[in-house]
Amino acid sequence: MEGISKYIVFQMNHQTYGADVRQILSIEKVQEITEVPRTAGFIKGVINLRGDTTPIIDLKERFRLGKLEQTEATRILIVHIADIRVGLMVDSATDVIDVDAELIEQAPEIIGGIRDTFIKGVAKQEDGLLILLNLEAVLDLNETNELRKFTKEQQTGGQDSGNDIGNR
Amino acid sequence: MNQYTAVFLDESREHLQAVNDHILKLEKEPHELALIEEIFRSAHTLKGMAATMEFADIASLTHQMENVLDSIRRGQLAVSTEIIDSLFLATEALEEMVEAIGAGQDGKKDVTALVGRLEQLEAGEDGPGASQSDGEQEQPALDELQTAMAAEAEKEGFFPYQITVTLSDDCVMKPVRAYMVSQAAGELGELIKTVPAAEELEAGTFDASFILFLLSQATVEEIHDAVSGVSEVMQVEVIPLKLTDKAANEENSQEETAATQVEEEAPAGQSATRKSKTIRVSLERIDDLMNLFEELVIDRSRLEELARLSGNNDLEETVEHVSRVSSEMQEIILQMRMMPVEQVFNRFPRMVRGLARELEKEIELDIAGAETEMDRTVIEEVGDPLVHLIRNSVDHGIEAPAERLQAGKPEKGKLSLRAYHSGNHVMIEIEDDGAGINRNKVESKAVENGLITTEQAQDLADEDVYKLLFSAGFSTADEVSDISGRGVGLDVVRNKIESLGGIISVASAPGKGSKFSIQLPLTLSILSALLVKVRDETYAVPLTSIVETILLEEASIMDVHGRKMMDYRDTVIPLVALREVFDVPGSSPEQKSQPVVVVQKGEKRTGLVVDSFIGQQEVVLKSLGSYLGDVFAISGATILGDGQVALIIDANALMN
Amino acid sequence: MATILVTDDAAFMRMQLKDILTKLGHEIVGEAENGRLAVEKSAELNPDLITMDITMPEMGGVEAVREIKKHNPDAKIIMCSAMGQQGMVLEAIQAGAKDFIVKPFTAERIEEAVTKVL
Repeated sequence: MEGISKYIVFQMNHQTYGADVRQILSIEKVQEITEVPRTAGFIKGVINLRGDTTPIIDLKERFRLGKLEQTEATRILIVHIADIRVGLMVDSATDVIDVDAELIEQAPEIIGGIRDTFIKGVAKQEDGLLILLNLEAVLDLNETNELRKFTKEQQTGGQDSGNDIGNR
Repeated sequence: MNQYTAVFLDESREHLQAVNDHILKLEKEPHELALIEEIFRSAHTLKGMAATMEFADIASLTHQMENVLDSIRRGQLAVSTEIIDSLFLATEALEEMVEAIGAGQDGKKDVTALVGRLEQLEAGEDGPGASQSDGEQEQPALDELQTAMAAEAEKEGFFPYQITVTLSDDCVMKPVRAYMVSQAAGELGELIKTVPAAEELEAGTFDASFILFLLSQATVEEIHDAVSGVSEVMQVEVIPLKLTDKAANEENSQEETAATQVEEEAPAGQSATRKSKTIRVSLERIDDLMNLFEELVIDRSRLEELARLSGNNDLEETVEHVSRVSSEMQEIILQMRMMPVEQVFNRFPRMVRGLARELEKEIELDIAGAETEMDRTVIEEVGDPLVHLIRNSVDHGIEAPAERLQAGKPEKGKLSLRAYHSGNHVMIEIEDDGAGINRNKVESKAVENGLITTEQAQDLADEDVYKLLFSAGFSTADEVSDISGRGVGLDVVRNKIESLGGIISVASAPGKGSKFSIQLPLTLSILSALLVKVRDETYAVPLTSIVETILLEEASIMDVHGRKMMDYRDTVIPLVALREVFDVPGSSPEQKSQPVVVVQKGEKRTGLVVDSFIGQQEVVLKSLGSYLGDVFAISGATILGDGQVALIIDANALMN
Repeated sequence: MATILVTDDAAFMRMQLKDILTKLGHEIVGEAENGRLAVEKSAELNPDLITMDITMPEMGGVEAVREIKKHNPDAKIIMCSAMGQQGMVLEAIQAGAKDFIVKPFTAERIEEAVTKVL
């Protein structure tokens, strides 16, 4: 096992999530976002991040957990994976903690309304479950299309679908 | 990529280009040995570099090219079409390998077939190479004559020595080493014999060792040191000889050890390479500089704004000066990124030659303005579209020789490729004196493909019909040839050119030929734009696509079949309200007249309705990033003086 | 330590030679990209040693050796050749070059040549 890793702890709808600190460039307060027309709804637009334009994703909308209401606590996690850099907007980001790999469990298929594709695992903490996100999958736009397909299937009645999409 | 590789690539490309150019000339002037020399020299330099970088395949191929060229140079081989073809093939393979290395691959390629072909050519008229060693091994002893000589010398204090020299295993050019050893020994006395014989030493047909017989006053040590002083000599053994006293005459039978002068001195002076005072700077550095400068441009806008707000005169003046200086810097940096279009044009002579041969046409390619410079980003992108257009002209434009004769034209078709500066643009034209575009053919094809109806076709002007060529999936070749390919039409070319901020158009006269014109921006990364406000957002419209800005009275907006139109210089053009197309949040101010930006693409014009004009500004084009990919009608973003991101509008997309 | 003038028309080759020679503790006092410049610079810099490529524009290596030797019979020149240039190497040696190295170079071989020539 990989031992202990650091995770950034953040919140959406009062549920706690973790993102591997090695994939996070920085945590930013919300600044003015320039909308980009005709892009997916969860893409809020682009910001000027120290001279470079960076797209911003509303992670709640991405996961279909509703829309984010901007408050003082709202934060943007700047994720950098491969050559892609994006900001993930979340309700709040509070902490950095150590998580022992031994304590990470396989996630159930759907947890808190999020499909397992996006979840690396679940770590039990004293104050509840910490859902560890698979950021590669979050950034993968093909997955987005898959996601659309998935939700369509759900809407058309196939409640038990999802297995065919990918089992990581 | 390390700096060696970068320099290696640079120089390899230059030399390959030179080889290319010279082979082309050689084809026209097969007896011009200076050209052979030039090709030889380039191939040779390439070989040296490749061998050092351990690109064995490049080295072996260039080596064999050299051999062929050498045979030509010595008059053992005459320049033939076959040789030219093979040299071209080899050059192509070399280019492929070099490019592969540039792309981070290992540059390996199976070149045995090519090498074999060249070897055959070389052997063809060259006959068997160096004479085989006849195996006759002389005894390492002196014959009568030599013994007599030695005896005579002995009287004068010269003693005979037998020197056995072994060269190191990896010694290359053994004959030269042998010569150097002979020379070193010869300086100490007189060489009377070698084993094997001097001819064999010269030919290099001996193993690692050979023996010299020397008459000398020097000591064993002195001889040993002198011979060991030659590089790549592994072992030297010097033995004083005992002579049987025998008389002899003085006849000097000493072999002339020096090899005959094998080759003429290389390049005959007048090489074309003139070098001005330049230094090589890696592109990476210039790009870095450009990036830093772009940041400066953003800060400059910010400074200008702050200074304006502050009302502080001194500050404003200083900022103004900074702006001026940085504008000049910008010019210089942009200049540094400029490269001559030659980089792209260079590959066309060979391409056209190849295509013409394949299609059994005769074509003369005339290139003008190859020195015209443009931004290297544009240069990198414009190659493919040009290839396509040239192929198109060769394939569809220029007729077969017989057909041309019938039409009263010279058998040889003419294809002109021109580049020149025009204001802030570079124009590239591809003109042929072929059959021109067949209006009827285009028409019927367009009707067939459902692009237009027969009735519409009749009303179209010639130019409008020609424009249909750029529509998706259009190809007029009667039969799909290898050259123009299947399905990939001029629409791909148009898209590419437009994505570069360029414009492509075509003119044609039946029976006389056609001309494709491409207008490209000089540079891509910093552009002049008009900033406009649409509700809460600021957008940048590149000046290159703007014809005019006007304030349009509400009353002069027309409604044609539900579409908003406006009168513009006696024509009616469509209006596009950006707030609607982009679904911009917020509300627009109530105003009597609407600010309209008239944009143009080709002959097409459209009015973009905005809320207000902010002003003209130099903006730095930033990509929206790979995550978002292509966004409709947005070509990128820029950061404004106040730190806000403004999207840059791709006006072309809004006109479709 | 010796002062060395490096002659080659390929910047790449000069760079490589320079690197190796510098590592061997020598000082590169000049570079020339053709024979003519080599002749000029050798007169100007009077280096302990000159490395000389064979095929170069303007003036080739062999001719350059002859020129240099004409003005300075003691000049120490090492030819840098590629495979297949035997004839010209020989010519250069006859013209007075002290040694030759064959591309691709190895540091060892260069070291040997330099040491033996100096």
